[in-house]
Amino acid sequence: MPSVIEKPAAQSSGDPCREAAELIASYGHAMDDGEIDLWPQFFTSNGIYHITTRENHEAGLPIGIMRCVGRGMMIDRVKAFHTANIFEPHTYNHIVGYPTMSYDKASGCVTARSNFQVVRIMETGRMELYATGKYLDVIQQEGGSLKFRERVVVMDSRNVDILLVVPL
Amino acid sequence: MQATPHPSTHAAGKPALDFTWPVEGIARAPYRLFTDPEIYRLEQERIFRGRCWNYLCLDVEIPKAGDYRTTVIGETPVIVTRDHDGKIHAMVNRCAHKGALVCLKKQDNVASLTCVYHAWNYELDGKLKGVAFRNGVRGQGGMPSDFDVAKHRLQPIRIENFCGIIFGTFSEEVEGVESYLGPDMAQFIKRNLDRPLRVLGTHSQTIHNNWKLYAENLRDSYHATLLHTFYTTFKVNRLDMDGGIILSDEKWHHLSFARRAKMEEAAEYSEAKVHSASYDSALEGPGLLEAWEEFDDGITHSIQTVFPNMCIQFTLNSLAIRFFAPKGVDKTELFWIYLGYDRDTEQQSQMRIMQSNLTGAAGLVSLEDGCINEFVQRGTRNDPQCSSFMEMGGRVAESEKNSRATEAAVRGFWQGYRGIMGF
Repeated sequence: MPSVIEKPAAQSSGDPCREAAELIASYGHAMDDGEIDLWPQFFTSNGIYHITTRENHEAGLPIGIMRCVGRGMMIDRVKAFHTANIFEPHTYNHIVGYPTMSYDKASGCVTARSNFQVVRIMETGRMELYATGKYLDVIQQEGGSLKFRERVVVMDSRNVDILLVVPL
Repeated sequence: MQATPHPSTHAAGKPALDFTWPVEGIARAPYRLFTDPEIYRLEQERIFRGRCWNYLCLDVEIPKAGDYRTTVIGETPVIVTRDHDGKIHAMVNRCAHKGALVCLKKQDNVASLTCVYHAWNYELDGKLKGVAFRNGVRGQGGMPSDFDVAKHRLQPIRIENFCGIIFGTFSEEVEGVESYLGPDMAQFIKRNLDRPLRVLGTHSQTIHNNWKLYAENLRDSYHATLLHTFYTTFKVNRLDMDGGIILSDEKWHHLSFARRAKMEEAAEYSEAKVHSASYDSALEGPGLLEAWEEFDDGITHSIQTVFPNMCIQFTLNSLAIRFFAPKGVDKTELFWIYLGYDRDTEQQSQMRIMQSNLTGAAGLVSLEDGCINEFVQRGTRNDPQCSSFMEMGGRVAESEKNSRATEAAVRGFWQGYRGIMGF
């Protein structure tokens, strides 16, 4: 996987926003290539991944569609995907817009927002727009590479077609 | 072979469809029930417009005067409002003039209801207040002199608030909600909901199957550990293998519960109920299952259905209402409304939030239900004359207090369905 997350800090470009944009792009590529096993590694060890709807997000309601606090819960999601959950096989294609970003020198964090569209491709060949929305990210260094400390996925629609098992 | 229960008299005198139920009775469901548009149309009339109470919304969703929210009964659009005296009303969302939708948003706060088409304006209880250009413009046009606003209004729907749930019905004949539920069902709803509630989040799911396949699925306690393998995969020590099924008198509502086995009821749990019960598991993130014992009856998991299309789940501490609205013969929108109580501590809210991962569109325990009913829809749609076979636990619909390896509640659904449909 061509990913900045494996890149040691010494080789980084030194531009945190550029690296954060690469992290955001790499994440989408990894999910689209079926590299779900790598998914937890995109996050800091105590990172948060939360999928919710715009309606919940704007109302400040805490329950959305998926919530992982810490990499352990993400690893459990991956294991459940492989061994427990049953669903019709499918893949995604993410189109992620270029993020707006701001870098806070004091905390070393990049805060980013990017829009996404995800097309879902079923094994029957059926393709359809599955989700649109925005990623709200807080990105920071851990173990020499940039990772998501928080990734909130705000889906525009309240509605999920069939089910959601592969993270967006 | 068991005798087929006689359809009750609800639908007596209604024109018969060219349809005969198999002689085996409620242990069979003809696949045609899931695909026939004529049966779907009759359901709208006999069930959703018939003598049933339908879930509309929660009292807590419209807390202030002028609040409204929109929903559906079957496919009929509905508005639920709270008026300036705090009284709740429900009405068909259809202007008395040309029939346009009056309210377009999911929820809002308004002084009155106005149709956007010709500005017919209604009180929050649905009474017509006024009509634009009633007296014409500059003396020209206007309504006839005998036009009477009192003779036009939004079609009212009878409602009842039971434990904070607003139910609505088109029927004048159906008994009150508590009698409709029966004592066992009403008692368990009181256990779960009879205190101030808080909505923690909502979403919906489109499932590509007839609404009755989901109604069956909720009542199908046989499939729980076979299709849904999350607990076994992660070796979750559920302590709740003991359980059973209770059916209402009409058999169409049900309660399925799992109970912490008595021998496992360690003293520290009962003495310190607010402390997290630890569920042994192979989870890397065990915080997912942090839970506390909320009730004295030892029931840790429950699923309760109210005919026709509502369910209340209590999965550990994850309390949610599921409402599934038919959107055509092979499409259903399943709504998830996650709840907590006003009295919850921050720690308790956090546990409910984490446990929401277990159910819903991405539920670790039950996301399979999003596709399994579609698999049945796709498997059966070309053979309407064939039927499903449901004899696990017998051929009748009776409560089974000691086992959940039974299809009794599914048969119960069909018993109630046959009654109200006259099939």
